[in-house]
Amino acid sequence: MFKLLFKKERQVQELIFRYLDNLKKTQEHFEQAMNCYFDFGLGENFDFLIAQTHKFESRADDIRNDIIEMMYSKVLIPESRGDIFRLLESIDLIPNYFEAVLFMIQSQKIKIPDFIVPNLREFMRISLECCDLVIRQVDAYFNKTEDIKALVSTIDSHESRCDHMEREIVSKIFDAEMDPFEKMQLKELVGQMGEIADQADRVSRSVYIINIKRRV
Amino acid sequence: MTSLLGGIFLGWALGANDAANVFGAAVSSRMVKFWTAAILASSFVLAGALLGGQSGIETLRGLTHFTSNQAIIASIAAACTVTIMTLLGLPVSTSQAVVGAILGVGILNRQLNFAGLGKVVVCWVGTPVGGMVLAIIVYKLLAAVANSTNLNIFQSDILLRLGLIIAGSYGAYALGANNVANVTAVFVGAGMLSTSAAVLIGGLSIGLGILTFSKKVMETVGQKLVRLDPFSALAVVLAQAITVHVYSLVGVPVSTSQAVIGAVLGVGIIKGVNTIQRRTLVHIFLAWFLTPFVASVFALSLDFATHLRYIPG
Repeated sequence: MFKLLFKKERQVQELIFRYLDNLKKTQEHFEQAMNCYFDFGLGENFDFLIAQTHKFESRADDIRNDIIEMMYSKVLIPESRGDIFRLLESIDLIPNYFEAVLFMIQSQKIKIPDFIVPNLREFMRISLECCDLVIRQVDAYFNKTEDIKALVSTIDSHESRCDHMEREIVSKIFDAEMDPFEKMQLKELVGQMGEIADQADRVSRSVYIINIKRRV
Repeated sequence: MTSLLGGIFLGWALGANDAANVFGAAVSSRMVKFWTAAILASSFVLAGALLGGQSGIETLRGLTHFTSNQAIIASIAAACTVTIMTLLGLPVSTSQAVVGAILGVGILNRQLNFAGLGKVVVCWVGTPVGGMVLAIIVYKLLAAVANSTNLNIFQSDILLRLGLIIAGSYGAYALGANNVANVTAVFVGAGMLSTSAAVLIGGLSIGLGILTFSKKVMETVGQKLVRLDPFSALAVVLAQAITVHVYSLVGVPVSTSQAVIGAVLGVGIIKGVNTIQRRTLVHIFLAWFLTPFVASVFALSLDFATHLRYIPG
């Protein structure tokens, strides 16, 4: 009886989980593209993986639009609709940053000097770990499976580490004997990569606020 | 039948206005469709009137003795008072208007049941106070249950929506049981209707008001409740329903609007926020004195007017 009455609520919930799955796939393709770039530089494989990342990012947009459309057809109470809408908008910036990083490398044909590749790999690894944790946190919020507050502090400490690494990489770049133009280009790329962990941290805080706001 | 039109009009206006107090929060926030709310509210109002409306009718008919003319005059005076007070923007109570009109008739008859009147007046004061105290208790109980369960956003929203539908239906039942006396008690007092016919006609006229004219009021008045969070709105609707139901068991028609205002005040006390403006409270106190006074003046004037005779000079 209840299942029939609240079919739309279940559909929205399923769409949110599908959106999170899709976000994971976008992240996987971004990671593959970056590893391909670190290993082999620019090339067909890299372009193919960019296209794949873009495909999943576009699919995420479609799913998000479906969720919003369904939510505003009288599913959930208005306050919850607003919270979920803002949360999705915030999460959606993460794949946008994935794409921005890849497009920046592709269009500006950036070449990364060998001495910062290990640092960038580590920087990317921690940033993506932040994203994994955010996906886990959003999933935990909707499924009530684990402590959201604990995840907030883990993501926060990862993000702080990323900030620290970002500063370290930038100073390493400016210490090196390089063309100033290339230095500026690399600094911009590192900054763009840093946005991924920053955005993950912002999403994590939103989830935490939405969660405590609903306590009575 | 035409002699009952004043009462039916009063019932229709009551349904159109007071349905917002029970389903306004759910409808204006689009959690429940208007027609679902209207059908539920009118059905439960009728059920409340039929099952619990008799005691209120006994109280009001016992306040004085009526003739048929006086019954019609009392219902028209009450309807006019409600209209005027609504135009003045005061939180009008149909119950107070009806009692005021009966008071006017009682003054004419030089026959008033002061014990019954005292009980009614005490209940008027007790309505917002009861709403406030019950809102505090209901809020704390619901909050304790909600915080002890580990529900996700979808589950808690479903429960909140169901809660608003159930509380709204219960509120409609209490409205019917409590306020049907306002509509047809004077006709029972005048011997124009039996109690069972009175609750049926009263319940149907309130239901008609809900079905035909409550949409706009639900959407606008209800928004005042939704400014609270949905959980508080549920506590308010439930506290209001219990308050009004208790008074229907006591047999005194009271104002659902004043019960709601008291309940909103109660939630504000718990949350430490100012939910009601001082001006609204002043208006309530003003309405307590003005509504019965205006209604009794109307009843006296109408009675005087019907006894005027043209004497050719």
